[in-house]
Amino acid sequence: MRFLTRTNSPSGERTNPGDRGSTGKSPPRQGWWSSGAPWIWLNAMAVGIGIAAVAGLLGLIATRGLAHFWPADVAVLQVDGGTTLIGELVDIEFTDPASFEQTGQPGSGQIERWLLKTGNRRVNGPDFRWVPAASVADRSFPSDVAVFERTEWGNAYGRISAVYENDALVATGPPAWDELRSRLERVTELRDEIAATQARTIDTVNYGLERLRLEKRRRVLRGVSEASDIEERERVLIATYEEAETRLRALSEAMRRDAVEIVIMDGRSIRQPLSDVMRVWRPNAMTVGGKLLHYVRSLAVFLTGDPREANTEGGIFPAIFGTVMMVLLMAVIVSPLGVMAAIYLREYARQGPLVRLLRIAVNNLAGVPSIVYGVFGLGFFVYLVGGTIDDLFFREAQPAPTFGTPGLIWASLTLALLTMPVVIVSTEEGLTRIPRAIRESSLALGATKAETLFRLVLPVASPSILTGIILAVARAAGEVAPLMLVGVVKLAPALPVDLNPPFIHLERKFMHLGFHIYDVGFQSPNVEAARPLVYATALLLIVIVIVLNLAAIMLRSRLEKRYRIAGT
Amino acid sequence: MIQGLSWRRRAVEALTARVVGLGGGAIIVAITLIFFYLVMVAAPIFRPAQISELDVLRLPGSRTLAAGSNDSFESLYVIGADGTISFLDPDTGALRGSERLTPHPLAAVRLVFPGNDTYALVGEDGTATLVRVWFRRRFDGDIGYIEDHVDRLFGGEPLPLPAIRVGQATGHHGKRFDFYFAESVLKAAGVDASGNIRIRQFDQLDDGLSQPRAVDVRPERSIDRLDFGPRGDWLYATDSSGAVAVYDIAVPDRAVEVYSGILTRDGAELSAMTPLLGRYSLMAADNSGRLTQWILRRGPEGAGLVAARDFEFADPIAAIVAEPRRKGMMALDARGETHLLHSTSERYLASFSTGLPTPAAAAFSPRSDRLLLAMPSGDLRRYAVTNHHPEISWSALWRKVWYEGYPEPVHSWQSSSADNDFEPKFSFSPLLFGTLKAAFYAMLFATPIAVMGAVYTAYFMAPGMRRWVKPGIEIMAAMPTVILGFLAGLWFAPLVEQNLSAVLSLFVAAPLCMLGFAWFWHLLPRRVTRPFDGWFAAVSIPVLVVTTWWVFACDNGLERLLFGGDAQAWFLATLGLDYDQRNALVVGIAMGLAVIPVVFAISEDAIHGVPRHLTTGSLALGATNWQTLTRVVILTASPGIFSALMIGLGRAVGETMIVLMATGNTPLMDLNIFEGMRTFAANIAVELPESEVDSSHYRLLFLAAVVLFALTFCFNTGAELVRQRLRSRYGNL
Repeated sequence: MRFLTRTNSPSGERTNPGDRGSTGKSPPRQGWWSSGAPWIWLNAMAVGIGIAAVAGLLGLIATRGLAHFWPADVAVLQVDGGTTLIGELVDIEFTDPASFEQTGQPGSGQIERWLLKTGNRRVNGPDFRWVPAASVADRSFPSDVAVFERTEWGNAYGRISAVYENDALVATGPPAWDELRSRLERVTELRDEIAATQARTIDTVNYGLERLRLEKRRRVLRGVSEASDIEERERVLIATYEEAETRLRALSEAMRRDAVEIVIMDGRSIRQPLSDVMRVWRPNAMTVGGKLLHYVRSLAVFLTGDPREANTEGGIFPAIFGTVMMVLLMAVIVSPLGVMAAIYLREYARQGPLVRLLRIAVNNLAGVPSIVYGVFGLGFFVYLVGGTIDDLFFREAQPAPTFGTPGLIWASLTLALLTMPVVIVSTEEGLTRIPRAIRESSLALGATKAETLFRLVLPVASPSILTGIILAVARAAGEVAPLMLVGVVKLAPALPVDLNPPFIHLERKFMHLGFHIYDVGFQSPNVEAARPLVYATALLLIVIVIVLNLAAIMLRSRLEKRYRIAGT
Repeated sequence: MIQGLSWRRRAVEALTARVVGLGGGAIIVAITLIFFYLVMVAAPIFRPAQISELDVLRLPGSRTLAAGSNDSFESLYVIGADGTISFLDPDTGALRGSERLTPHPLAAVRLVFPGNDTYALVGEDGTATLVRVWFRRRFDGDIGYIEDHVDRLFGGEPLPLPAIRVGQATGHHGKRFDFYFAESVLKAAGVDASGNIRIRQFDQLDDGLSQPRAVDVRPERSIDRLDFGPRGDWLYATDSSGAVAVYDIAVPDRAVEVYSGILTRDGAELSAMTPLLGRYSLMAADNSGRLTQWILRRGPEGAGLVAARDFEFADPIAAIVAEPRRKGMMALDARGETHLLHSTSERYLASFSTGLPTPAAAAFSPRSDRLLLAMPSGDLRRYAVTNHHPEISWSALWRKVWYEGYPEPVHSWQSSSADNDFEPKFSFSPLLFGTLKAAFYAMLFATPIAVMGAVYTAYFMAPGMRRWVKPGIEIMAAMPTVILGFLAGLWFAPLVEQNLSAVLSLFVAAPLCMLGFAWFWHLLPRRVTRPFDGWFAAVSIPVLVVTTWWVFACDNGLERLLFGGDAQAWFLATLGLDYDQRNALVVGIAMGLAVIPVVFAISEDAIHGVPRHLTTGSLALGATNWQTLTRVVILTASPGIFSALMIGLGRAVGETMIVLMATGNTPLMDLNIFEGMRTFAANIAVELPESEVDSSHYRLLFLAAVVLFALTFCFNTGAELVRQRLRSRYGNL
């Protein structure tokens, strides 16, 4: 949030006292303490802390978020006692003597231990395990170790030993890799087809059936019992559905054809059906270029894919889409209203104590906690307005609420209210900056007040209006607390925009980047495995917010320059 | 107005004025009305209850022993002394149906604990039968109606119990038996002809009841009333003088007297008694007009009853009726004065006079919105009760309250539980405390950094650097708090836990190292240092980084040196401070980072805006830069800095996500920096989505929003007024 202040902006010609030199100006080398120099340094340190904190946090998020998609080498560790471990080295830690004593091992000082992501949690138990570095007898990165990204149970690490088709052996040894790749391509195509059928047919039919059910109920409420046409349409839809389902069944049957045998770290072979495998790669055999390609692909999957495994894997596309949708809708609501309110305050209202009071009130509303707006949105928009809409127009769906439940439109309205002061203050600031002379000359030339407003004042003030809107959007994009009350969910079954009329479904719940961070980071069962994804999501959110803010800052500084020129 | 405009131009002009005037004004008024909407939703919790009498109905047949209704009061029933249940239309009194339940007349009827639909019918011969009354909503097309049902439990046969001696059937006498039936366990207790208490426990089998497990107790006094306690594990035995004994009967075949005492004080006689919902407490009235709540206390020192609170009346209470789903009750005296009360909030909600003697049977409807009084004369009096939020009172919100099951009054917030008989604990004190605690630690961290940073940036920093620092800090202000909260909870909190000594040492080490570096800088030749004038902030960053790295590298040594090897254990042993991973220290730093940009930006503006002739004048008189800064600049700008702190405080008070993610959200009242807290904002975010619309809890959360709104609005308005005055003062200087 940019805090709303009407600053008397620093004019360019002003110089800082700091230019004059701060410490050694007066000769007294003797009075170092009393010269205040130590205090100046402490003050400087305060700024340094601020800058270091910002840079450090951004750096932390960026490195952790971006590193996740890099195909890390997979290590094979021979541990004392003859066991073999296969996995990605995630972290190295030096434990302090206290916990060292608990392990009961001899030695002095700290011990080094490695965090290994061994994956395959159905067989191995937890995804991660700590390995004391001292116990590792041998570490190697053989090129034939493969990583399997699966739809269930997380990654698996191991060597490919054979490929099967309908339980019949197809390939073993080195040729198995190429065989696996080509067969995986087929599975991926099938998977895409299944998803497309699901989206295009099954979802549409379900939606249509639900609408028909409501239509029937609406007729009953109206006292019309004739429903044969509806039943006819229902029959058609059900026929389509059954056809699609037959096709889906055939497709998933085809998907289950192939399987791969993996030798995992304890030497066991497991038979993995390819239908559950998303991707396979052998990071140790990859060139840097190959890794880069893999990196870009992973990033693309993250940005455009749907979440899997309780949001801890896969992509965040619905969250990106929901955030953008909500913010756009909010901008559409807040822009005209906020600008109109500002014009009223500055141009039309009689300036007096009442308007001054209103201005203070509006200014203060910017400082009211966002959760309070959420409470208001839930009580007023969702239950009162939404409930009334349901009573008037959606009686057939009751008792299930349509608009009387948190949803996209209410979230946008609530955030529009929340960001309204930002737009009002920024617009007003722009209106105040317009020199009186410009206005007066327009009026003197015979233009009416409205004409002056539309042809002169608003165009000249448009950069500050735009600044206000961008700041409002930036604030709305990062706000989470009120959304938790008025429409955000951890997993939305459908996007708010789809191919079913009326195409934009304002009453639907949606996913949001900020809430995604909260939910996956704090409510998910497997936080450790999901953490890199949360960092990546946080990075994306931060980039969006910072880009918006930078745009506003640049716009504002250009604006300042322009007026300086106009003023000279 | 200019003459000779075309009608179109004139219309546009008029329309614009109208639209902007109405629309803009409406928008501004609308957004300022938020506060009033919140107040409007919250206000009903403090409204007193209302009672109004409906028409009197004539009851059919014999003397009424019990009465009740279905949930939404569409069908009511009475059980008469002749063993007949009659269902009546509550509006007209027309008979909907009746059924004979026992072949012989009844001596007494009691609701079986803990439900509200099963009755134990005790015949004059001392046998007992259980019946369950239930209703079903049926739909004929779109028209719904209610079906009345009565089931005879266990085949309608009398239970295999020793004969119960009921005695006088009205008042608190005549309750010499009680039944408990839940989760397939039936417990029965009754007083037999020789005055023994006989307790039987059965298991419900597919084909009836198991063989009973029995235990008999020989009480010291003659018992007039028996009540099972919570979960059927306890038994209260009372006599008419007010002497009470509590038996622990959790283990079948065994009854241990764990407490005996007197429910009345100052030698008064017991005039009425009833347990409240869940039976964790007994309401006992004596003939001096006092009504006392006795709470069953269980603890290491044994179980017992403690008097938690008194209600005082002019006349002795003759009967008490507990509400079926809340800890409220109605108390009436012998002259018909009737009082609606609530135990937790200690509220006298409403009083009215029936002008009638004590009723033969009395009951609330399940939702407590109707009150039924069956008079000995055969009249059935019905009252409409509007009593939505009895458990809330202003004093209960802030003061300590003695809740059931607690050894003493406490401040507590615990809004819901899985149990139906749970007593909600709605105290704002821990929430306000948590809010202020979080804000306090955040401001403690943020204030020095933000204000000192603002001083340096505005007064000493080179313009070239300032051009970058100001937008940089603005970006920091834009950082979504969910990200700060996430980092605080998942990255910073574990880091602090593992390196507590280093983190704490850093607060001392960083300034000390900085001063050391400053001395070193001072010793450098001036021509080396001159180019860096105004860039100290940039120079200090490497120093900070090195210091931080060094302190963290020495964490183990520091921990041994300062805390004997384990900081957490040292704090617990030496200062008695518990350590939570997500604590006020973490929140203070994380929320401090969110507050710093706000305070920084406003203070920086205030300091930078100090009129230039003041500083030049001071410097011309020979003051050093530092003297000018401390004696002129900061003094002049101090109202601006103050307002910046107010606004920062307002933000810290209302911040939600950081607190939600970086604390354990436990409503504690403890200033310990190593423990968490629960704030108003986080509490709203956690509980409001699950709260039932228009319930007390829902309205209370709105009230919490009102409190938050008011707090921040006060801070912000104060700050704004100070700033406006400052601006005009700068103008005058």
